Amino acid sequence: MNVEDVFSSKLRMKILRTLFDVGELNASELARRLKINYVSASKHIKILEDEGILQHKVFGRIRLYRYNEQSAKAKAVQNLIEVWERYDKK
Amino acid sequence: MAQRQSVFRDETKLDINYVPGRLPHREHHLRLLKEFFSFALEAPEKMAQRVLITGDVGTGKTALSQRFGLEIAHESSIRGIKLRYVHVNCREYRGSLFFILQHVVSVFHPNFPKRGYSAEELLHTLVQVLDDEKTHTILSLDEFDSLIEKEGPEAVYKLTRLQEMRQNKPQRLSLICILRGPEMLGKLDVSTRSTLQSNIINLQKYSRKELTDILNDRVSLAFKPLTVPEGSVRLVSELAYSEGGNARFGIELLWRAGKYADAEGLNTVIPDCVRKAASSIVPAVKKSELTTFSLHEKLFLLSIARLFKENQKATVSLAEAERAYAIACEEFDVSPNSHTQLWKYLKDFSNLGIVETEVSGTGSRGRSTDISLPRTPVEELEKTLRTLLDEESDKT
Repeated sequence: MNVEDVFSSKLRMKILRTLFDVGELNASELARRLKINYVSASKHIKILEDEGILQHKVFGRIRLYRYNEQSAKAKAVQNLIEVWERYDKK
Repeated sequence: MAQRQSVFRDETKLDINYVPGRLPHREHHLRLLKEFFSFALEAPEKMAQRVLITGDVGTGKTALSQRFGLEIAHESSIRGIKLRYVHVNCREYRGSLFFILQHVVSVFHPNFPKRGYSAEELLHTLVQVLDDEKTHTILSLDEFDSLIEKEGPEAVYKLTRLQEMRQNKPQRLSLICILRGPEMLGKLDVSTRSTLQSNIINLQKYSRKELTDILNDRVSLAFKPLTVPEGSVRLVSELAYSEGGNARFGIELLWRAGKYADAEGLNTVIPDCVRKAASSIVPAVKKSELTTFSLHEKLFLLSIARLFKENQKATVSLAEAERAYAIACEEFDVSPNSHTQLWKYLKDFSNLGIVETEVSGTGSRGRSTDISLPRTPVEELEKTLRTLLDEESDKT
């Protein structure tokens, strides 16, 4: 997927920002926090995971999503959010 | 405004949650505990341990375990070993295995979902989490009695045998179980009992001299130099000794006496401050105990205290207490709990020695439970509960 396609979705950006803030969450909790439905949250999470930005860990029936620590893309996104927030606060 | 003088240098050193750097008269027990867990610093994946710490209230069980936890965590980080010490007060989690495990999992994954699985699943999830973290965890279960009481032998069995159910895999979970007396273990099945009873550290009540040493230690940490005369420390230790060698009681009393000195603008904590503090402290119920109660337990106890305050009677019936509790619930805008639940609370209060109960059968139709508060000053109890409830409603 092209970079513009990945970042063109407001919901995907919100998911990335939420995970940047809290570290890790399951899909239901992400959906609840963003006030969207589970299916929609799962769809966007899958896109971000396919791009290698997110990864998940499975504990029993629970699947927790977080940034992929090995991914350069994930690091770049986290950098972007961090810089953006720092300048927004000034 | 002139700056207010205080006898305290750092009153947090008298807080119930403070873990002192030195445990006078518990050095030997600390060494023993470290000995039991020495494997965790040598070969943490090769074995797991279960240790039982028993002793009356205020004999230093919690402090011993927490001191050990801090030291082993420090030592393991120096050696680059992945080891965590997690201390859980089971009573704070209503003795529920589910909530206790949830707390442990949340240490590693703070946003782990709170719903959607059973306690059994959570037990396996915990092991999975520990495997994932490649960490050996020493889980200290304080007030273990309430877990046994609530969950019974089956859950405790599963918890203690967790490692044995996964043979040939890295050992991830060790347990320290803290309880007042080993009698409660009688409720467990033989195999669980034998698993737990292999390593017991029993803490005897402190003597007057030992209490004085402990209090002197705390005085030097919490108070400014020369503000607490020897006579005051001796008096506090005498009172703590008469409370069953209860060091926690003594430390709480010391703090309160310091507060009286400050309130009266004194430069020293004179023995009279100790006497005043002692007469105001709730003898049968410490504030630290009341804070662990749930909202409804507090409301129910408050209702009982109010009944005694209003009626000046020696006993009140459970039915009367229930009616008073319904009014208190209305006051705090919560729905009252059922009769069965209140009866359970009453049983807990009775086990803690706060109330005494007696079933009266004769002279009236049916049977009723009479409640009495033989050792607890009602006004102080009511005031303490009221403060705690107000604090709780401020938080929400």
